[in-house]
Amino acid sequence: MRAGLLSRYRVLDLADARGLLAGRMLADLGADVVLVEPPDGSPARRHPPLVGAGVAQRSAYWEALAANRRGIVADLTAPAGRDRLRSLARHADVLIDSRGPGVLDAAGLSYEQLRELNPALVHVTITAFGRSGPKRDYAETDLVVWAAGGPLDPNRDGDLPPVRISADQAYLHAGADAAAGALMALTARRRTGRGQHVDVSAQASLGVATLGRILAAAAGDEAPEWEPKVAIDQSGSGAGTRRSKWEVRDGLVELHLAMGPAAGSFTNAFFAWMKEEGELPEDLAAWDWRALPAQLRSGERTPADLDRVRTLVAAFLAGRTKDEVTAAALRRRLLCVGISDPADLATSPHLAERGFFVEVGEGERRVRLPGPFARMPAGAFAHTRPAPLLGEHDDEVDGEWLRATLAGASS
Amino acid sequence: MSPTPALEGLKVLDLSWVVAGPLVGRALADHGATVVRVESSVRIETARLMPPFVGGVAGVGSSVLYETCNAGKLGVTLDLSRPAGRDVVRDLAAWADVVVESFSPGLMSRWGLDHAALSAGHPELIMLSTSLMGQTGPLSRLAGFGNIGAAMSGYQHLVGWPHRLPVGPFGPYTDFLGPRCSLVALLAALDERERTGLGCHIDVSQAEAGVYFLGPEMVQHALSGEVPGRRGNDDPLMAPHGVYRCRPADDPARGDHVAVAVRDDRDWQVLAEVLGPVAAQDPRWRTAAGRRASRDEVDALLAGWTSGRTALEVEQVLQARGVPAHVAATSADAVADPALTGRGHFVEVAHPVHGSVVVEGSRFLLSESPAQVTRPAPVLGEHNGLVLGEVLGYSQELVAQLERDGLLV
Repeated sequence: MRAGLLSRYRVLDLADARGLLAGRMLADLGADVVLVEPPDGSPARRHPPLVGAGVAQRSAYWEALAANRRGIVADLTAPAGRDRLRSLARHADVLIDSRGPGVLDAAGLSYEQLRELNPALVHVTITAFGRSGPKRDYAETDLVVWAAGGPLDPNRDGDLPPVRISADQAYLHAGADAAAGALMALTARRRTGRGQHVDVSAQASLGVATLGRILAAAAGDEAPEWEPKVAIDQSGSGAGTRRSKWEVRDGLVELHLAMGPAAGSFTNAFFAWMKEEGELPEDLAAWDWRALPAQLRSGERTPADLDRVRTLVAAFLAGRTKDEVTAAALRRRLLCVGISDPADLATSPHLAERGFFVEVGEGERRVRLPGPFARMPAGAFAHTRPAPLLGEHDDEVDGEWLRATLAGASS
Repeated sequence: MSPTPALEGLKVLDLSWVVAGPLVGRALADHGATVVRVESSVRIETARLMPPFVGGVAGVGSSVLYETCNAGKLGVTLDLSRPAGRDVVRDLAAWADVVVESFSPGLMSRWGLDHAALSAGHPELIMLSTSLMGQTGPLSRLAGFGNIGAAMSGYQHLVGWPHRLPVGPFGPYTDFLGPRCSLVALLAALDERERTGLGCHIDVSQAEAGVYFLGPEMVQHALSGEVPGRRGNDDPLMAPHGVYRCRPADDPARGDHVAVAVRDDRDWQVLAEVLGPVAAQDPRWRTAAGRRASRDEVDALLAGWTSGRTALEVEQVLQARGVPAHVAATSADAVADPALTGRGHFVEVAHPVHGSVVVEGSRFLLSESPAQVTRPAPVLGEHNGLVLGEVLGYSQELVAQLERDGLLV
């Protein structure tokens, strides 16, 4: 018996680089996910970040997101491959497709056609801009979808163009939504016995990453105020950023000098720390950051006052380390922490104590992955294997799935 | 005949606030669950104070962010700082199949409302706790919003220009990732409960959700020792790959930047023909490696071309030729985008105060049992009588007493 909450489900995963996270999440919860690749391998095997060179080059994208499942090869451009796919689809609970609008349809493997074979199948489609509509055939990449979905435009540093996250994210949002959609459809199936289609658009998935901004025009909010009206350099670095990065001895810390009723008290707590350390001039000890927006509007406090404060904060932080700042934040409930990079995360005692990283695979294929995306009772998650070699499980999956269906039918 | 929603009959107590927790209950409500959202009218929940606002006018009842995170829920106001208020929560938890909470780790326990307490005699209860760092571990008590979550998961390090300090992602980024992990875990737990009759406690850390979404970068580091960093809009392979300023559109609310990505040498050939002979004839630029080597030059040429056109024109000219390009969409672009409106992504809901409000639709469209937004987010205390009277079966006298005691605030 497989481990994991979803161990009784079989997932036929036709995702390319654009949909891999969906199958990964279901597999992490124990589903038997079988990744189907074309004969020359998934394009995701060549997707950056790439490590190593020449024949030893590997895609970290593939190793991370294709992990924890088995893999087979089926050429959907050939009759034999399509027949095999149809045969497997009879025994699958979920099919995931991200190969682009119309690609499966052209291979005779449309939702309608597969549903004839298996009315209980949940068929999940992940596309950039939807399965229909005027942008269905738009050329796309992660950046282009990120632009279309909304989180790109407001993310600016001064006069420079909007800037993305230096890691592909758009299709991960979509992939996670696809996993949730698949489970919602399986929930419905428990009542009806019937599968259905689940349609995920990566562009639409990103609306949530705008913090409601995407709705501003519909709400008639012409100029939503995302940050304090007074443009403030909070970095103390003179770099002109309005964001909240401060230099410390071994890197950067994140500290937003929050003001206003919602979060101003956290800044008050930060200044209490400065005061205790003897690094806050007497006249600043009386500041109440909860009241500051009103005081700036009335002129009681001025941007010049804020400049002086920022300079003091910068000097206060410059002599400390990331860990010291994080420790103080923990002790005093400050909104301020050291900024972690991937190396910090890999060695984080906190993540280690929570068992967040898992190691799978043997020998050269051994790899350390982010593991359980939630903490649940033992046995909820199952991390068992690295990303498959091309066609690694070609000889075992078909017979096993057929036998499982027969066993299920006779029990 | 309308289909039975997937979660009809599911009862959810939502004690969470801001974005990461409430979005989970919103998805459950979309699919037919009865979700009771508890909040305070004294200690106003942060999302109610955040833009955008209906008509641009701030007010605790007019945040569209709050609307989109809480549409479909019933609203109750309770004073949780007093034991009698927490007694009502205990009754609601006894009614509920699922409890969602996002208090600082440890607080529910101090209140006697943790999973162990609430599931005693109620083993089928599923409780989802969503927090910044998780319920356990040395940093579990760290306070913070999503920008702190982004710092604790690598994103503050990974966004910005190499020659400047990093800027971080837009908004509280891990607030957008945590609820994805929460919803998947919760639906799996419901599936399990259906078979075993047993619930469980789910502990989601926003920071871990963030790191999970950086799986490729973590594996890159694990395999090579490299520490990925910020690189503006550059891609390791594609070039050009960036966001370029355009001529402003007539409507200033529309986006004035366009994202362009050249996936391969064919894309470049097509783009170069559009850009003109300087680009088309330079032999150095026929390969991605050559274009990456003279990135600044190529970018300047492309930016010069985009600056004479609106972002939408650039998108349309390039897409007509099969080159990836899209306006860096603003809200005005999004609501006019047929790819979003055509799938019903903007849902208008009748609202008792505003007439109507527009919220985002579900992010997964189910063909047979589609999401439905049956009501707007609650006005503060809107369903106190309904929930206490009809859901919990409190007598009118008891509700009046709670009211007089100032607990329903």
